[in-house]
Amino acid sequence: MIPTVAPAPADADQAGSTTAAGAPVPGAGKAVLARFSKHRLFASPGAVAGLVWLAALVIASLTAPLWLPFKTEDQDFTAVLSGPTAAHWLGTDELGRDILSRIFAAAAGTLGTSMITVIVGVGLGTILAMAAAGAGERTEAAISRITEVMMSLPGTVIILAVIGAVGTNIPMVMAILGILMSAGIYRVILGQAKSLQSQLYVDAAKVDGVGPLGISVRHVLPGLANTIVVQAALIFAVGMLIQAGLAFIGFGPPIPQPSWGGMIQGASQHVYDAPWMMVPTGAVLALTVLSANAIGNALGKAPNTAAPHLPSAAARRQRAKAVAAIASAAPAAVTQDGAAKGTLSVRNLSVGVDSTGAGSGVRLVTDVSFDVEQGTVLGLVGESGCGKTMTALSLLGLLPSGVSVTGGQILWNGRNLAATTDKAMETVRGRDIALISQEPMRALDPMFTVGYQLTATIRRLRGMGKAEAREEARNLLEKVGIVDAARILKTYPHQISGGMAQRVAIALALAGQPKLLVADEPTTALDVTVQAEILSLLRALVTDTGMSVVMVTHDLGVVADICDQVAVMYAGQVVENGRTDSILDNPRHPYTLALLAADPHANHANDMPERLATIQGQVPQPKDWPTGCRFAARCQFAGSACLEPVPLLSSGAGTGVVRCVKADQLAVEGMDWLATDVPAARAFEITPTQNPRTLQTIVEKDLA
Amino acid sequence: MALFVAKRLLMALATVLVVAVLAFLLVHAMPGSPGAVSLGAGASQDAISQLNQQLGWNDPLFTQFFRWLGDAVQGNLGNSLIDGRSVSADLASRLPVTASLAAGATILSAILGIALGVTAAVRGGLLDQAIGGFVGLLVALPAFWVGIIFVYLFAVQSSIFPATGYVPFEVSPQDWAMSLALPVITLAVGGAAFIARQTRASMLEALQQEHIRTLRATATPTWKILYVHALRYASLPIVAGIALQFIGLFGGSVIAEQLFAMPGLGQAVQSSVSTHDAPAVQGVVVIATVVVVAVNLVLELATKFLDPKLRAS
Amino acid sequence: MSTAVTERRDSPPPSAATPMLEVKDLVVRYGRGRKAAAAPAAVDHVSFSIAPGETVGLVGESGSGKSTIGKAILGLQKVSGGTITYQGNDITSAGAAQRRALGGELRAVFQDPNSSLNPRNTIGTSLAEPLRLRGVSAAEARAKAGDMLERVGLPRDAVDRYPSQFSGGQRQRISVARALICDPQLVVCDEAVSALDLSTQAQVLNLLADLRDERGLSYLFIAHDIAVVQFLAQRVVVLYRGQVMESGPAAAVTENPRHPFTQALVAASPVPRPAEQAARREARESLGVRTGAAAVPAPGGCPFRLRCPLATDLCATERPALRRVGTADVACHYA
Repeated sequence: MIPTVAPAPADADQAGSTTAAGAPVPGAGKAVLARFSKHRLFASPGAVAGLVWLAALVIASLTAPLWLPFKTEDQDFTAVLSGPTAAHWLGTDELGRDILSRIFAAAAGTLGTSMITVIVGVGLGTILAMAAAGAGERTEAAISRITEVMMSLPGTVIILAVIGAVGTNIPMVMAILGILMSAGIYRVILGQAKSLQSQLYVDAAKVDGVGPLGISVRHVLPGLANTIVVQAALIFAVGMLIQAGLAFIGFGPPIPQPSWGGMIQGASQHVYDAPWMMVPTGAVLALTVLSANAIGNALGKAPNTAAPHLPSAAARRQRAKAVAAIASAAPAAVTQDGAAKGTLSVRNLSVGVDSTGAGSGVRLVTDVSFDVEQGTVLGLVGESGCGKTMTALSLLGLLPSGVSVTGGQILWNGRNLAATTDKAMETVRGRDIALISQEPMRALDPMFTVGYQLTATIRRLRGMGKAEAREEARNLLEKVGIVDAARILKTYPHQISGGMAQRVAIALALAGQPKLLVADEPTTALDVTVQAEILSLLRALVTDTGMSVVMVTHDLGVVADICDQVAVMYAGQVVENGRTDSILDNPRHPYTLALLAADPHANHANDMPERLATIQGQVPQPKDWPTGCRFAARCQFAGSACLEPVPLLSSGAGTGVVRCVKADQLAVEGMDWLATDVPAARAFEITPTQNPRTLQTIVEKDLA
Repeated sequence: MALFVAKRLLMALATVLVVAVLAFLLVHAMPGSPGAVSLGAGASQDAISQLNQQLGWNDPLFTQFFRWLGDAVQGNLGNSLIDGRSVSADLASRLPVTASLAAGATILSAILGIALGVTAAVRGGLLDQAIGGFVGLLVALPAFWVGIIFVYLFAVQSSIFPATGYVPFEVSPQDWAMSLALPVITLAVGGAAFIARQTRASMLEALQQEHIRTLRATATPTWKILYVHALRYASLPIVAGIALQFIGLFGGSVIAEQLFAMPGLGQAVQSSVSTHDAPAVQGVVVIATVVVVAVNLVLELATKFLDPKLRAS
Repeated sequence: MSTAVTERRDSPPPSAATPMLEVKDLVVRYGRGRKAAAAPAAVDHVSFSIAPGETVGLVGESGSGKSTIGKAILGLQKVSGGTITYQGNDITSAGAAQRRALGGELRAVFQDPNSSLNPRNTIGTSLAEPLRLRGVSAAEARAKAGDMLERVGLPRDAVDRYPSQFSGGQRQRISVARALICDPQLVVCDEAVSALDLSTQAQVLNLLADLRDERGLSYLFIAHDIAVVQFLAQRVVVLYRGQVMESGPAAAVTENPRHPFTQALVAASPVPRPAEQAARREARESLGVRTGAAAVPAPGGCPFRLRCPLATDLCATERPALRRVGTADVACHYA
């Protein structure tokens, strides 16, 4: 009997948790159903084959009397226990009955009774889960308690006891099996139902006055549909196996009526004299179970699983090849001049999606150059989708799977990190360049104490002994402003606050005494008062240790607070680069100008404008980047000259550069980014934005 | 922690009690009175009702249940209606068979399953797909069918292992192991596939966690990220999967016991259900529940120990 | 109601100036049983009111209870004590039916544009849902949805599209359209622009301001960002650990904060002008506010006392009542 009275695991579970979040449905999709089938089920050859097999089986079985060569009870005493022959394609059993005929005649019954388990089990499990998710903690606790009990029962033994009481009434037995299995299904569905219940659109519907039943039926159930189908397919398979198993131990349908399990039992008695007999029925049963599982797995495959942070061995091999290609394209000759200690120099860096897989070849970062002098802070600033995080991660060789550097150089003390293998990067990471990220809580390993994570890192990066590392860990925590370091060392990440966790993450980054810290939105998830403390800490560390920082942020206030230099990024390019004070006080690029005008922080309460300046439209998707100025479509000052590619030009302030052909003209005219809205109906086009009409309006504006 | 254990113990007791009541009711719904079952066909109506009276069959259900419960807590589960043997003694001799089977199969599934699952997740590429396909096939194969094929291959074609029978450990540890080999492998096929899937999914989820990036950013060697940090993170769902597996295998051993003629609990259920031997059925159900609930309890405590969040609360 | 919130439990509200919303002594505790009773309340005796046409900003850090208050007003969170009155009707524990009877006058815009629209429904279905519940015919609801979409700057034919076809800013506009489709008088905006980028944030803020001016709406604008609140709100209520620290006219609270916590909050918000920010940083560091990572204060007394530079023994024993300082009400013994 199948080993477990619980729904099949893994794939389905995962699908539950990933699709649950109501994650933005990828791509478009007018008809939900069409997309659903197009992308998942029919993308899997196994599932298609499974569907075809199941359909064929059902049709063949239902029409069996019309075409079967033999009646199921016809006995051919001339061919008892025969192997496949011309007359009996799949051989005969001990009474000379045709196995092929019996298999197909038995199919409909086996499949139909398995459906009883599916309907009872999945139905009950779904209803319980929706009730538990919708009715509040107390109900959920009660239902969960009951299902826990159900799941800790020896299901098979209980089913047998039921058979003892009601006899081999297969529909009844399969229904009770469904009840037993509903507990496992409940568990799978509950998580997703709860996640759907916590969606804001459910809150919105509650505010509208939709009752609990309405919420469940209208907003929760449709979201569960896929999981329900997945579970149904898997339970169908389990039901079939259990039913066959029961028949095998003698609790199948009454004897003369053919059943798959019964046929296998018959075969088991002839293992010695007619081993062939067990092949056809077992194979058909296995094939059918396989079909149901394939369908379930194809549907349950999470559409957008996050990329692993450690690529698989296969993916790492592929990346090594890409790195080798970069290395051969950019010979190391350029480098050694002026390679001062602790200097980062990024030259014409491009990052793109790998050529295999979805979205292949899309550029995410193009032609980015900047320098970071030792002991200074560089800000990479821009809105989401501008490529600033990708740029930052490429410095450590930690781009997500499927994304890699496609050109340019990352020169660290003269060494080109873009052409350095992952293995070789291990000597750079932590020791030379360290990382802190946006969500400090998620950046720490939840399974280990702060002390373990710190000391292990210190021992590895600094080659210290255990006791010495322990002492150093305490020093580091004190250095990042943690007063009760001894206590914090013993805690697990979930036991400390977000601000504290970011301090710990900084301590971890400092463990190898790095010369460059890459900070990816390190304060975005924190409260402003905590943000101010963390920024002060970082500033003090820069002063004390002489390390430099690349600070990724979307907050111009943070830039003003801590950055010496700033590179403003837009749509994968640097549009303006220079000293922070000159750029923020005297922006040269219209995008920088517009960002500052749109920022409510730039205004005092007394001079708060009636309306904030806005930028029409939104940052274009990488695939829609035009060849000309990428900001032109949204720019109030755009003209026909902006349709040509724009190089970085000197901004006139020191070494500053700006990517705008009209920068000088605008500076002379002293133009402001206007606070008035462009008429709303024109401002909002449906994505994607690029179309010829936009360019038309730009040209007209220029002529006017 | 002590409070938690106490709560769980109470839960476990309640579960067993509920099952005892259920089993009692089921057994009473079985066709045929105990007298009829015991005396067999051809017994006179008088003899049957006399025996029924003697067995307390005519007492109120309530009285009968508490009489049974009272005996059960003292270790007496009644006598078989068929051969009159003590159910407790019979089950006591059968329990080790099933326990060795289920435990052996669980351990083997866990080892194979974790190895396959981790390999698939870590290596990726073609190997991942190959393992995925193989595991998908194993899940679909009915245990009895696999068993028959094993018997055919390893006992009939080449007599490496005995085809049937069970040798107690006390008699000969070596023969005991040999007699268990085929049934354990048979049961472990599906179990290993189940755990492999669970492990692969959990490992992949672990590798998607952001702290893996932090570990890489601090130059943690790949093996340590995989086998210390990611596997540790993935261990919770894997252990939960193993627990489910044991529960399933404990019941599922009935197939293997039938196929390999092992005198275990499964065989006892099968035969007592066929013969309507009420006390035996009830005894098996309750004993099986006790074992499964106890193992579940242990594994739940293990999970609690593995998860720092739970341990702290 | 431009006067600030004070304890006026005895006098019934004058009918002429019935506030749009009045929250009195609101208490919310999470969980149940003895453990929950011992823990500090998520919302601890909070009172404020919103006059017709007024926008009140609710500001605080994570864990301040600001979103919980919004949920309590919307009926999404069970209330442990106090009352919530909407236009003179007690809605503290109103059910779905009673809220429906309010006629859709109390509406909400939520934070996350990704999850505030059902991804499986068309925009039209989502917009029509509140109207259909109120018995509006399908055709009429559809027409109205189209009108509303145009008003928020989207094409009419967006009714047949799905949320995934819109960007975050556009989705937030659709959420605004949904909130306004049955002509509400009070809209609770819970971090309505927090998830948006600067340029789109400005678009939505402008839209909210325009609609308010057009329709005389009242807003309860909940946000962690005091500058955003300052743009939209006439009055600001500052919360810390479930208690009101300071409340008063927006300009007074943000430009001249009296409570040590408000001072810290305002000083910590960075401005994008390097020279001015350097001065603000120095001013902030001289405030002497201790780090928030310090231990959680025991219940009773002022919740800010462990971080406060002014705190004395009195602050540990006696919870400061709100009292008038200048034009604002401040809950501090020493402000």
